Amino acid sequence: MAAHAAHPKPADDPTFQLPASISGLASPLGLSGLMLLVVGVLIGLFAGAGGRFTMSAYLTAFTYVLSISLGSLFFVLIQHLCRAGWSVVVRRVAEMMMIAIPALAILFLPILLTVWMGGGTLFAWGDPNFAADHGVPLVTWAEKTRYLNGTWFTVRSIIYLIAWSAIAIFYFSLSRRQDETGEVTLTERMQARSGPAVIAFSLITTFAAFDWLMSLAPMWFSTMFGVYIFAGSVLAAHCAIAAFVFWLQSRGAIREEVTIEHYHDLGKLMFGFVFFWTYISFSQYMLIWYANIPEETEWFYTRQRGPWATVSIMLVFFHWMLPFLGLMSRHVRRRPALVCFWAVYILVMHFIDIYWIVMPEAGSGLGSLVGIITSVLMTVGMVSLYLGGVLWFASANQVRVLAVRDPRLPESLAFENL
Amino acid sequence: MSDTQANQVHGTYAEFDSVDTLLAACRRVRDAGYTQTDAYTPFPVHGIDKALGIKPTHLPWISLACGLTGVTIGLVMQCWMNGIDYKYIISGKPFISLPAFMPVSFELTILLASFGAFFGMLALNGLPRFNNPLFSKPRFDRATDDKFFLYIDAKDSRYDASGVAQFLTDLGGQHVDQVVEDDTRLTIPKPIWVIVGVLMFVACVPPLVLARMRVTTSGSPRFHVFFDMDFSPAKGAQEISTLFADGRSMRPDVPGTVASGQFEEDIDYYTGIDFEELARRDSSRATRLVRALRDEPDQTPEVSEADAPSEAPAIVDAPSTPVAPGTVDDTPWLPGNPLPLSSAVLNRGREKFEIYCAVCHGNDGRGNGLVNRRAQRILATAWVQPSSLHQETLYAEQYPDGKLFSTITNGIRKMAGYRAQLTAQDRWAVVAYVRALQASQNATLEDLPADKRNELRKEQAEVLQQLAEQAEEERRRAEATSATVAQ
Repeated sequence: MAAHAAHPKPADDPTFQLPASISGLASPLGLSGLMLLVVGVLIGLFAGAGGRFTMSAYLTAFTYVLSISLGSLFFVLIQHLCRAGWSVVVRRVAEMMMIAIPALAILFLPILLTVWMGGGTLFAWGDPNFAADHGVPLVTWAEKTRYLNGTWFTVRSIIYLIAWSAIAIFYFSLSRRQDETGEVTLTERMQARSGPAVIAFSLITTFAAFDWLMSLAPMWFSTMFGVYIFAGSVLAAHCAIAAFVFWLQSRGAIREEVTIEHYHDLGKLMFGFVFFWTYISFSQYMLIWYANIPEETEWFYTRQRGPWATVSIMLVFFHWMLPFLGLMSRHVRRRPALVCFWAVYILVMHFIDIYWIVMPEAGSGLGSLVGIITSVLMTVGMVSLYLGGVLWFASANQVRVLAVRDPRLPESLAFENL
Repeated sequence: MSDTQANQVHGTYAEFDSVDTLLAACRRVRDAGYTQTDAYTPFPVHGIDKALGIKPTHLPWISLACGLTGVTIGLVMQCWMNGIDYKYIISGKPFISLPAFMPVSFELTILLASFGAFFGMLALNGLPRFNNPLFSKPRFDRATDDKFFLYIDAKDSRYDASGVAQFLTDLGGQHVDQVVEDDTRLTIPKPIWVIVGVLMFVACVPPLVLARMRVTTSGSPRFHVFFDMDFSPAKGAQEISTLFADGRSMRPDVPGTVASGQFEEDIDYYTGIDFEELARRDSSRATRLVRALRDEPDQTPEVSEADAPSEAPAIVDAPSTPVAPGTVDDTPWLPGNPLPLSSAVLNRGREKFEIYCAVCHGNDGRGNGLVNRRAQRILATAWVQPSSLHQETLYAEQYPDGKLFSTITNGIRKMAGYRAQLTAQDRWAVVAYVRALQASQNATLEDLPADKRNELRKEQAEVLQQLAEQAEEERRRAEATSATVAQ
């Protein structure tokens, strides 16, 4: 029973460092990822996948990795907000992923560049002929473009990225400082800021979802869209944390610290957020389906025709039903390997969800062969670059994989589910 | 309880000072093979169920079964109600439309699963119960305070009073004692009866007051809990407003303007009446109608000079040619549909017909829709049977398209007008569809286009020939049988 051995090991224990077999992967993963990403973009742009398709695929890949970081940021904030004890042993892993946000801001530049090049390559609202081509009344369009225009979009995007980065850096640096000093006041400061930070985070994330994803269909709107993206992100973050921790443990780090109990809790949260995602996405669908107002149904209409109809149905069965049933049993959630399996599985489904949000706006079908190659290259490249970046940053700065002097660490070590 | 049971032994308990001694004792008791055991602690203790060897609870399965029952009830109930028992088109959705059924099914799942969890938990714990024999031991009160207790029930197959007591003492238990049947008096103390009686009496007061209020009138003004909900500051139709000089709360359009989407320029199109013809036959009636439609004050008409000054005063009060009820309708209705007919128009008309008209007139137009059937079933006295659309008096020759349009717009007898629900274009589309419906119920072969007619004739000929062949076959077989019989 862990209850009897709740004393943390000394902070300089080697199992608190990133294992060499993992940190060694940083450069290969990062460099090959960057290469694949660049090759993917070039193939897309010059081999006929089309500018809209290529940039949409880029946005999909970018949103995917960003959503994992954002979910991790939320995870860290909510643990401080609840003064949670159980999660201390896995919180550092979330912090390692959340600190990637400032770096991801650089990967957002291609999207800004596309917007500035004009012509509505990625966001249709950039097209000066949009209103005329789609029969939108000019008065309405004038109002729309007061919000959806290059300059204002850029300003907002920069605000979002800076705000997220500021919150992430604040929490990361304080948590790391505590590794050295063990000051309890640091925890108190982080807790005190977590309330306003959560409010800021949810507002920013909602508006970013509106601007970066919802505005792909300029005339469509859903007030629930921000929550929808949030639900997917937090789900993905819990999965990423579980999978990352499992990977670390399989290479010898934090083996005694993270127990079945922590996997059980992560599994419960995954289970809960699978359903939360379903609840939100179905609510969004049902309200629009029931009211049947043309200006709202447009988005779902695109997604229930042709190949997208298959993807939509797939999401119901494989993003909800399968993991829902799979994670329902306590016995599954108490087996780390199974939790890790479902985590990776849901991470794949989360990508399909993002793909389904972005890509139908890029064209009618799933894309040509070149388009699919582009998309796969960019996604694999982006994920690999992201992972490489996270590992590189952690190993370069000697970041421990455990918050070793957190005042609640003993509580987390002794944590047991009733 | 009878005296024979008064000394019945329920079990043996022991007191422990700390969680650790209790857990150690629990493990020993479990390992010794006791199963009918229980531990009592002031706070939840991790791992105690494992230490006592308590099997994992079946509660999740109960909850799951109840949840599945809930989702099944939700889906079956709604499929039966909307798809079988009371088919009713709602917002043009299919009768069995899964997305609409989700919220109710979801809520029922949650409701029954939580009922299952809550009542299942009570049932598995044998709750509620009014007393536990352990309560007769004063020391046991400290189980909610600072002591830990371990209890072995006499129902355990290994139970033997002195052995268990010795065992518990050896494990470090203090104050090991037998729990015997509680011999406190079973009669309920008198003060409790008094309190219950008083409470029951007091509980009768509100219903009695309410009952009295139901049957009496009161002179005092009604008490309004939410005053501004009972008396909305917003003005209703026809109410007086102090905000405007003319006192009207319903504001007329600014002179010379038309509200968006309300511009009815082509008056024939919006009334179904051929106004040129009407003006020729009866100019004063045309003028009056136009004024009424244009919402102009019904004063002496300006056009009266040009038309017929002598008639002008009569216009306001009575129609120049009074039409007695029951006389022939002489309105020059538009004979045809102003919409260019196409399958799109007919489909539109059908969609609107099935949403707005079919509930009474029926999908086939024979006047026996759901509302009519329901009205007849409950013998609604004020109900007027909707007209069947398949009668000569409603065919285009006797009931021109314009008149049908006007009926849809303004209503007739008990039928309300659908001006507010349907745009003029949709009403004309419904007119077109009604004509198609009438044609469909009375069609002859000659109504078909030539190629279809030939196709149908060919089919008919084929069928007739097949029938003839079959008859021939039968005849031959019968002959053959009779021949063999004759031989």
